[in-house]
Amino acid sequence: MSDDFWATPPEEARDLDRLFRGLEFRPRESLEPELTGRSRTSGEPDPAPRRRWMTPLAAACVLGAAAVAGWYERRVTTVDWCCGDLDGGGIADDGIVVMARRDESIRRLALYEDRDRSRSLSAADIVRFERGAAIALAGNPPPQSVTLRHCCADYDGGGPPDDGILVVGVPPDTVLMVGLYERRKEAPESQALLR
Amino acid sequence: MPTERPAVQPTPATPGATDRADRVRAWYRDHGAAVYNYVRYHVASPDAAEDLTAETFLRALQAADRFDPATRGERPWLITIARNLLRDHRRRARVRQYVNLHALRDLASHAPSPEERLLYEEEAGRALDALAGLDAADREIVSLRYASGLSGPEIAALLGISEANARVRLWRAMARLRTALGEIR
Repeated sequence: MSDDFWATPPEEARDLDRLFRGLEFRPRESLEPELTGRSRTSGEPDPAPRRRWMTPLAAACVLGAAAVAGWYERRVTTVDWCCGDLDGGGIADDGIVVMARRDESIRRLALYEDRDRSRSLSAADIVRFERGAAIALAGNPPPQSVTLRHCCADYDGGGPPDDGILVVGVPPDTVLMVGLYERRKEAPESQALLR
Repeated sequence: MPTERPAVQPTPATPGATDRADRVRAWYRDHGAAVYNYVRYHVASPDAAEDLTAETFLRALQAADRFDPATRGERPWLITIARNLLRDHRRRARVRQYVNLHALRDLASHAPSPEERLLYEEEAGRALDALAGLDAADREIVSLRYASGLSGPEIAALLGISEANARVRLWRAMARLRTALGEIR
């Protein structure tokens, strides 16, 4: 501390100046070890200061990710699965196209015969059955109709290969109803919800 | 209070608990008395001054990564932290703190006899009580001048005023303090 800086105090302040210059307080001796001990546990450095633009950016990222995740969950996927003997005709030439939201209701479903062996639905194929969201059997099935189950694959784009197909038809090439069900470990296949 | 400040080398940033403790110990040995005395001019009890002093060094440790020794010294930096803590402390307290003589147990005295020590304590106690009655700006310049161990230019820089202005402020504050002391006597 440079005394020159302050120059000579005014006459009326000299006694106080002298008093304060001699004034000294001493903290207790134990403060230093106490402080040192506290510093071991509570003196962690602050995290780097967050930049102001980081908060809105982080919020935008979270919202964006949520929107993408929501869109991903809500998006309609189309699965074209081929080929197998889905209609009981004896030849593994049938394919199925399913438009659905992930693990939700089916928007459109078509069962086709892959005539051109393209292993996908094409203009040369014959569509044996087509439906929208509703699952229904038109009229009473004829006595010779059969119910076939095919399990399991990822027919609806939900991810795991846990979907089964239930086909009601009259082999070899008549299809009356096609529904999808999800096979669950906790429930028998016969109790699966058809959609 | 020591008037000569030893040259202090900035301690390098290290993350470990032992390093933190070493760093605080070094800071405290170099600047602990100055920080304590500066704080002590603003609070009425040694206990409060000790708490605020300890908190100053712990805050410094947390903010060590942001301290740039190239732009300012360690002591002005620590005193600035103490100032901020005092501001928060006053905001919480919101009361004027009168000094009583029993609160001067931490006052160093070289008085040769108990009677002289008692007289010295009374005089110091009155001065601090009068100081506590001044406004914040006056208390600040007086405490920085006589207790912080900062140089005149450092005080002026810390307050953001010119050196000449710092001098004028100090002597005006001392004049008001003298008037206040006259009223107390």
